[in-house]
Amino acid sequence: MTLPCNMPSGTVNVQVELFSMARLVCGRSFLALDLPCDATLADMAHALVRACPALRGLAITTDGTGLLESYALNLNGRVFVTDTGVHLQQGDTLLLFSSQAGG
Amino acid sequence: MLRIDLSTQQRVWEPLEEQALHRFIGGIGLGTYLLYTSCPPGVEPFDPANPLIFVGSPLVGTRLTTSSKFAVLTKSPLTGCIGDSLSSSFMATELKKTGCDALILTGRSPFPCLLVINDDVVEFLDATPYLGLSTTATEHEIKAHLGHRTRVACIGPAGERLVRYASITNDGGRQAARTGPGAVMGSKNLKAIAVRGTRPVPVFDAKALHAIGTNLTQRSLGPATEKYRTLGTLANVAVFNRLGTLPTYNFQRSTFDEIEQVSGEALHQNHFVTNAHCANCTIGCEKILVTTDNGPKAQGRMEYESAFALGSLVGVANANTVIRASTLCDELGLDTISAGVTIAWAMECFEKGLLTLKDTGGLALRFGNEAALLACLQLIGERRGLGDLLAEGSRRASQRLGRGTEAWAMHVKGLEMPGYEPRSLKTMALGLAVSTRGACHNRSSSYEADFSSRVDRFQADVERGRLTMEGEDFSAVLDSLIWCKFLRKAFRDLYAESAAIYEHVTGWSMTAAELRQAGERINTLKKLFNIREGWRREDDTLPPRVLTETLPTGVAQGVGLTRADLDMMIQGYYSARGWTAEGLIPEQKLRELDVWDIVCTR
Repeated sequence: MTLPCNMPSGTVNVQVELFSMARLVCGRSFLALDLPCDATLADMAHALVRACPALRGLAITTDGTGLLESYALNLNGRVFVTDTGVHLQQGDTLLLFSSQAGG
Repeated sequence: MLRIDLSTQQRVWEPLEEQALHRFIGGIGLGTYLLYTSCPPGVEPFDPANPLIFVGSPLVGTRLTTSSKFAVLTKSPLTGCIGDSLSSSFMATELKKTGCDALILTGRSPFPCLLVINDDVVEFLDATPYLGLSTTATEHEIKAHLGHRTRVACIGPAGERLVRYASITNDGGRQAARTGPGAVMGSKNLKAIAVRGTRPVPVFDAKALHAIGTNLTQRSLGPATEKYRTLGTLANVAVFNRLGTLPTYNFQRSTFDEIEQVSGEALHQNHFVTNAHCANCTIGCEKILVTTDNGPKAQGRMEYESAFALGSLVGVANANTVIRASTLCDELGLDTISAGVTIAWAMECFEKGLLTLKDTGGLALRFGNEAALLACLQLIGERRGLGDLLAEGSRRASQRLGRGTEAWAMHVKGLEMPGYEPRSLKTMALGLAVSTRGACHNRSSSYEADFSSRVDRFQADVERGRLTMEGEDFSAVLDSLIWCKFLRKAFRDLYAESAAIYEHVTGWSMTAAELRQAGERINTLKKLFNIREGWRREDDTLPPRVLTETLPTGVAQGVGLTRADLDMMIQGYYSARGWTAEGLIPEQKLRELDVWDIVCTR
């Protein structure tokens, strides 16, 4: 169950589930992030690099403002996050995995 | 083109028709044309008259990254439809260096045959010493006999016994497997083909090609191929599970509780040995894995499809067993997808009491029974006991067993389903239903739309038809030039760049628009082949389970796909292709695509 974004600071705590090399370089499957309720992709990228600097150049651009084309972010297993970002709620999960589908 | 009649040992070198090359390019495209024009209408797949065709492409021998590939085409013994598959590596280049762009085999050798092609010299050697050998042992022995620079394509015990999903193996484990070309090769009493070529491969403008090739190589090492260079396709396992699209327990579920033990991440950390590359490939997607327990050591390459078919689909969570099963399939010469899906069908039959211990020869064929999985694969490869039934594939096996077991035989047109749960990937669902070779994810790659923000993968809509059509035509061009699909994201514009490369290689004019139309033409001719061989509208469908059951677990819990929604998407596809509502192709479309003459004369 997700809760509305009613935190006084306008931020929510979300879980990021890591897959592929992102998981291996971070050494764990999950990260916890504080993000704005209406987080842009840049917000997420900044937060990911702060939480796991090894993601810079692997999944996150070297300037830390976006995703490399090799990775995708998905919200709760349902919605792929685009450049304009997405509305987050407390308890949401972002999935970070390779954007190259298939095989 | 080299035509060989194995019955008479007659061999004829012929020039390939220029018009055919212009229209169908090479690889799968040219192979489809050669199959359509060489295969007698209505022929049975194991009839000597059914041709087995190996086709290279314009790019083979150019050293462009991922270009060492060849296509194998025949009338499939598993589906009765067009059987087209691709393989890679040195065999493609070696055949090209003999001067042979297409090899068409008909007839049946009167003795077990090793076909040797040494530039333009063709020999028919006795293959009796190699009978019964695994694919690895066969290749090893032939190379010891003929020289280690010889390239070998062979069948294993499964192909010798006409297992309907037997593969053709080359270069230490590369497989042309889907639709069972190995069984056709076995029906021709042909154990192996050994090739040695020494001729240079001409290129029209080598300097221009080198510049483009260098640039493409650089792109092939960038973000566009990161997944394939690191974990490989095994990266799909955990992601698909999380997205509720990992087929589990014979498609009864789309999530597997024990996933972490067989995820790509776990396999990489605990079982990875090295990457391996096809010839002329800079990506190196092959992951060589090894078992680490106290059982018999097994080491081999493993892809996502094998990990799902021999893992979650059959309820096995032991990575060592999955590796063992995958390498056993390679040694026997079996398509891992069809093998796993057919065994999963049998497991469900056993758990429902429709197969007994007497039927299984004492195997407790339950989901998760690792020993039973391995034993079953061996039985299939030998066509022994229960294996003789399972060697027929899930469609025939369920028809033979009856008692309602067809309801969970997970195939389309007889080809077993790959590792994409169609209920939670609606564009893929359409791609699977309409693919000319049966349940195939590769010929449309329509899952790409589902794994993006372009569509809602849980919802069906008529626009999926256009997306699937575009994916099919794109894939047909990739498969005919032949580029590896893992390179596709490295192109800024596949059609424009490939047209320029084609011109530099051949000296022939080619535009992006012409390439795009060639893709449509190739898919149309594939469909024409199937129509000629008995395709009916009801063959474009999905298994009953997919259309009657909703998914019970994970993020896709409650998601299903109705017959009405599938039919709506299929109509959208037919409309996008300019076909009739019954899925037939009007004369006007055939003339527009310049295939009318082919249909009229053959």
